[in-house]
Amino acid sequence: MSLTFLLIDDDEIERLKFARVLDKNDYPHKIIEAKNGEEALDVLAQKDQQPDIIFLDLNMPKMNGLEFLKELKSDTSLQYIPVIILSTSNNHQDLKEAYEIGAAGYIVKPLKYEEYTHKIKCLIEYWSVNELLKA
Amino acid sequence: MSSDDIEILKRAIQREKLARKQAEKILEDKSRELYLITQELKKTNEKLEDQVGKKESELQGVFDNLLDAYVRMDIFGNVLEMNYAARNLFGYDITEEKLNVVKLIYKDDYKYAMASFQELVTKGSFSDYQARVYTKENGIRTVHINASLIFDKNKTPIGAQGIVTDITEELKQKQIFEEQKKQLSVIVENSSLGIVLAQFGKIVQTNKAFQNLLGYTAEELLKKEVKDISIKDEYEAVAENLEKMNTGIIDSFSVNKRYVKHNGSSFWAKTNIAAVRDHDGNIKYQVAFIEDITEQLKVEKQRDQLVKNLEKTNQELKDYAHIVSHDLKSPLRSINALVNWIKEDHIDTLDKTGVHHFTMIENTLEKMETLINNILSYSSVSNKDNLQTKEIDLNILIGDLKKIILIPDHIKISIKKKLPVINGDMTRIQQLFQNLIGNAVIYTDKEIGKIEIDYEDKKIHHLFSIKDNGIGIKQEHHEKIFKMFQSVGDNENSSGIGLAIVKKIIDLYEGDIWLESELGKGTTFYFTLKK
Repeated sequence: MSLTFLLIDDDEIERLKFARVLDKNDYPHKIIEAKNGEEALDVLAQKDQQPDIIFLDLNMPKMNGLEFLKELKSDTSLQYIPVIILSTSNNHQDLKEAYEIGAAGYIVKPLKYEEYTHKIKCLIEYWSVNELLKA
Repeated sequence: MSSDDIEILKRAIQREKLARKQAEKILEDKSRELYLITQELKKTNEKLEDQVGKKESELQGVFDNLLDAYVRMDIFGNVLEMNYAARNLFGYDITEEKLNVVKLIYKDDYKYAMASFQELVTKGSFSDYQARVYTKENGIRTVHINASLIFDKNKTPIGAQGIVTDITEELKQKQIFEEQKKQLSVIVENSSLGIVLAQFGKIVQTNKAFQNLLGYTAEELLKKEVKDISIKDEYEAVAENLEKMNTGIIDSFSVNKRYVKHNGSSFWAKTNIAAVRDHDGNIKYQVAFIEDITEQLKVEKQRDQLVKNLEKTNQELKDYAHIVSHDLKSPLRSINALVNWIKEDHIDTLDKTGVHHFTMIENTLEKMETLINNILSYSSVSNKDNLQTKEIDLNILIGDLKKIILIPDHIKISIKKKLPVINGDMTRIQQLFQNLIGNAVIYTDKEIGKIEIDYEDKKIHHLFSIKDNGIGIKQEHHEKIFKMFQSVGDNENSSGIGLAIVKKIIDLYEGDIWLESELGKGTTFYFTLKK
């Protein structure tokens, strides 16, 4: 089953990393990229390409991750899309806030690329066996 | 002689006889009259004597009953009479021994006494003589005397009399009263608090401090009412409390209010007002103590501002460390990924040296990340937001740590005494032990490494020690090592933050840390944590 991911991250290399994991593992999934929350909301406004899962960075200019998450969760047509946080912070406060707003998962980005690959693979495999609500 | 002559003679004799008879009769009459008068006089005299005696005894009674002493003396100063009070006062009884007033004069007052006596002699009296006298028992009393001369019918002075009042006690009381008054006024005048006595809103007394505070003289203030030196709105608030005081609900109250100075400016003062009541509980005066708190308020305001600024700065710093640390990590991750891709994609064209260099880049990145993580944890040690205090069994904690810290086979960690269960934040306490034990492991250079953990229960603190047989630390570094980035070893795994974090955690638990070390033999770190 092919899934559509919305990856929201301002860092180009982070976006490259994610794409490379999909590419190297021959996953059939599709990625839509957004550089920040605003851009992501624009993407979501186009009803023809709704993502199945959103991967969200927290530290971003303009609209940061948590602000975007709040917007999303207040939109009845979008609130059931699972959002996985990709963060550099394992700060308890950040974690708590993310889950409170309604994050479906929280990944701390590791330094080592191999570890990153491993985590993303696990994530994708987990979510590809889940039943998801189609918008 | 003729018969005529005889006749004449006879008639003459006859006339003479008749005259004598008449004279005798007159004499007789007069004698009788005299007798009668004498008798009458005698009677009157007796009556008078009786009356004098009566008066005298009456007077004696008055003298004796006089509260004041009465003394009568002759012109030589010999005392002729003393009443009961006089005998009592001087202790002499002149019926038993003679007494001259000179004997009574206190030696220092002699001159004055003589001058007064001179006044008595020349003017006939003196009043308000006040001096000290000796009593028979060598006591000294202070007396007040009014005296006057006594004259005979020829206006010749024959003596003097005086009323003597013992004012010793009165003077003493007066002195005590004056002394107390003086003491009180010293306190009032030297008080740094302004003090005001008011009666129905009218100022009746002020002290120097209050006059200085307001820039008025004492006299100027006496013409004022409290409301004249108050600010209208504030005076009304005070009036409410004054009413409560008048009705007896309260006896005193404290209020912060402003006072208007002579120059029109005003200042803030803490004012304590207390009621001074009479026997019936009615307010006689209000006494107010005024403390200028302008400076105090200013300082308080400054302090509040400072605290606010500090809180803001602190929060900014926390955020700063947090953000910077995470922003610093992102490029590291990117570099790591890029290095990996180059290795993956170009493994065939890379030689051994190239691969080695890439590995070195990766190691450097790891070190950099450790450093950032340490800074992050250092800055979050004192962040009370994430402090979760619970019971920690240190025996379990050390057991867990042995699995986390990579301990080489040649190093043995032993716990010499059962460790206590303490209250603290798990993350921090674990970091504390982890850093210290980790250091001990890193700096062990012996073939067999020995790390010993010991504990002692002090009343207020827990005392721990961690002893190693490693390389030791030079005396001059003992202070330095607890400071940020002050790694003194040449170990490449040392970031120079570990002990700074340790120190900060110990500070958090109001403890202390110190060490004993011998170069080449080992180091013992001691630290305390408040229970």
